[in-house]
Amino acid sequence: MTTLRFPLSRIEGHARVEIEVQDGQVVAAQFQAIEMRGFRYFVQGTPAEQMPVITPRICGVCSTAHHVASVKALEDIFEVEPPDLAKEIRELLLLGQLIQNQATSLFIFTMPDRVGASSIFQMDESEADPEKQLGLAQRSLKVRQVGTHLITLAGGQFIHPIKAIIGGVTSGIERKDADKMLAELEELLPVACTLFDEYWDMSMAMKERIGTWGDDQPAFYIASTGTTRPQLNSNTIRVLGPDGVERASFAPHHFRDYLDYQETEYSYAGQTSYQGEVMRANSLARINLALSMGTPLADEYLDKLTHTFGKPAHPILLFDLCRGIELVYAFERAIEMLSKDLLYEDTSVPYSLKDGEGYGLVEAPRGPLIHHYTVKDGLIEDAEFIIPTVHNMLAIERALKVAGERYVSGEAIDLELEKAVGRVVRAFDPCIACATQ
Amino acid sequence: MTSQKQTLPRFAVLQLSGCAGCEVALINASEWVEKYQLVYMPLVTSTHRIPADTEILLVSGGVRNDEDVYNLKRAAEIVDKVIAVGTCAISGGVANLGDRDEVRELFMAQSNRHHLPHLLPKSHPIDTFVDVDLYLPGCPPTPELFMAALTDPEGFDGSSIVCIECGRKKLKDMRPRHLLGFQQGEVLPDICLINQGYLCLGSSTRGGCRAICTRPGHPCVGCRGPSDAYIEKPSQVWFDRVQKVFERLTDIPPEEIHEALHSPQLSLFVFQFTDYMNGDRPPRPKEKIL
Repeated sequence: MTTLRFPLSRIEGHARVEIEVQDGQVVAAQFQAIEMRGFRYFVQGTPAEQMPVITPRICGVCSTAHHVASVKALEDIFEVEPPDLAKEIRELLLLGQLIQNQATSLFIFTMPDRVGASSIFQMDESEADPEKQLGLAQRSLKVRQVGTHLITLAGGQFIHPIKAIIGGVTSGIERKDADKMLAELEELLPVACTLFDEYWDMSMAMKERIGTWGDDQPAFYIASTGTTRPQLNSNTIRVLGPDGVERASFAPHHFRDYLDYQETEYSYAGQTSYQGEVMRANSLARINLALSMGTPLADEYLDKLTHTFGKPAHPILLFDLCRGIELVYAFERAIEMLSKDLLYEDTSVPYSLKDGEGYGLVEAPRGPLIHHYTVKDGLIEDAEFIIPTVHNMLAIERALKVAGERYVSGEAIDLELEKAVGRVVRAFDPCIACATQ
Repeated sequence: MTSQKQTLPRFAVLQLSGCAGCEVALINASEWVEKYQLVYMPLVTSTHRIPADTEILLVSGGVRNDEDVYNLKRAAEIVDKVIAVGTCAISGGVANLGDRDEVRELFMAQSNRHHLPHLLPKSHPIDTFVDVDLYLPGCPPTPELFMAALTDPEGFDGSSIVCIECGRKKLKDMRPRHLLGFQQGEVLPDICLINQGYLCLGSSTRGGCRAICTRPGHPCVGCRGPSDAYIEKPSQVWFDRVQKVFERLTDIPPEEIHEALHSPQLSLFVFQFTDYMNGDRPPRPKEKIL
């Protein structure tokens, strides 16, 4: 038997892919998380109140989602409801993360695949027109930076935010700060749209070149988003069937009734399924679950996607295009929110420590994230992190097998396979630090 | 353009076991794009080896498994200068919370999986294995600090402690009697967080971060480690200093502060930074710390 091993890059964390080939047939495709973070163990015994500061350190890419999920889990235990203004500030924080993450995935992780460069910073050295490509890199980084600035404004710190607290957030947003952010968002929204248009064209050209959009078999989709507009801060998880019919809707504390979890010998990350079936989380899941985005430009892109690919759409390379729609949405929604008064009431309510069990849900860029804590004597007795990347593991492996079958035959292994492996994995934008928390 | 770029200094970024927050901070500091050539950084480039003529190596994350040890040693041999970036690479970081017997047992139960890197019993700072030329502490270091580390570490204009960069006023007549919970209470603007009863470590934590946590109202958790005044001394001296500041500014019983500082769980970051002076390793000289 031949084992092909592919190192991975332009993803968050340490992972590799192994494809096993026997007699010209792909017999297995494994996605292996090769690092182990272990937060679920080492937060045991820490004071519950510190979790919102500790858990962002699970991952510097997804820190905002962990920060907010952690605060929500503790609010569930301490039985406090944050003021509406605090919820709005938290939504802005999550929008900042969505901008930063989708821009990173689109432009830093996957755009080089579309122009045949090894990185966005080397794009000026690749074959195509250097002037144009250097421009791409600079514009991309500027668009991404808008997300960073929004996280800093709404979250205080730029990577491991601190402003969400149990019972609310530390402060509202002053008019002059909101205006400064608005000006930046408005200046860069058209830049983001142009970049996304270019990205869309590059993707169509890539499809022409490689002849496929990747694994297009139907799957279940999971997200905690809304129907008529994305909701990043909801309390309900929804599941869509492969036929586009909604199959389930449940609160985070019921997740075990719907999701099956298993561990493997070859990876430090586990895998979840929807009652034994392959499911997908992340951008494509949210877009398949949404009737509209609720903002004008994002809705235009959604129409274009639906018109071109139908609904629900299943090919995996559409994850990338869906990220672009969400990038535009996040800009528009942040502009909408920052145009309003964000100082209209107190931003937090008092709480007192309590023992018990609680769940906190947010829709992270990679899908629904749940923090589940048991608190005893004010300390964490048990912590569980239900990670979106883990929901995608079976779908990633299925898509890798499809790619393997395309490029492996009895006679030879097509060198395109290595590139295909990279494209497949990046379409899911997995986060290994989170998956092995 | 290609030839011009190739004459720029070349640097590589090796990410060991960590959260990638340092890498994200580096991407945020995009000014280096014009001044340096990034030759290796798996998060953003598809180059799988560090080229032989690389000058600077930035290492983030702690040494958590045997593959980390191998990759670190091999990379350090290639380059002229090694910069340890972030709390995990410098002192083990947040992963040090796993350095407790009961947790280590749970952790090690995971460590023998089929053909996966073998976990070490604890997360080590990188200078356990290689010589480090410059330390850049912070969780993560700010983009400004990254730029300074790459271009002009000696010329960096940072304050000795976070307090100086914070600008909140210390009041003589506002003396809390007990520590507030880590997140509890309404934070008053412009007034020192210690006056408000928060366990803020800004009075002895290394400056240079521009007080990005304390200014919006979150107590300093000490992620940049002790200031030059304490960094070459046993961690007890640092703790005593924090204690003295609280005695001067508050009526909180000294036992309460002492307990808070010495409980490994309560003082998460202090706990991490005690590793600055751990065991038989000579102290890291302050000249090497940005």
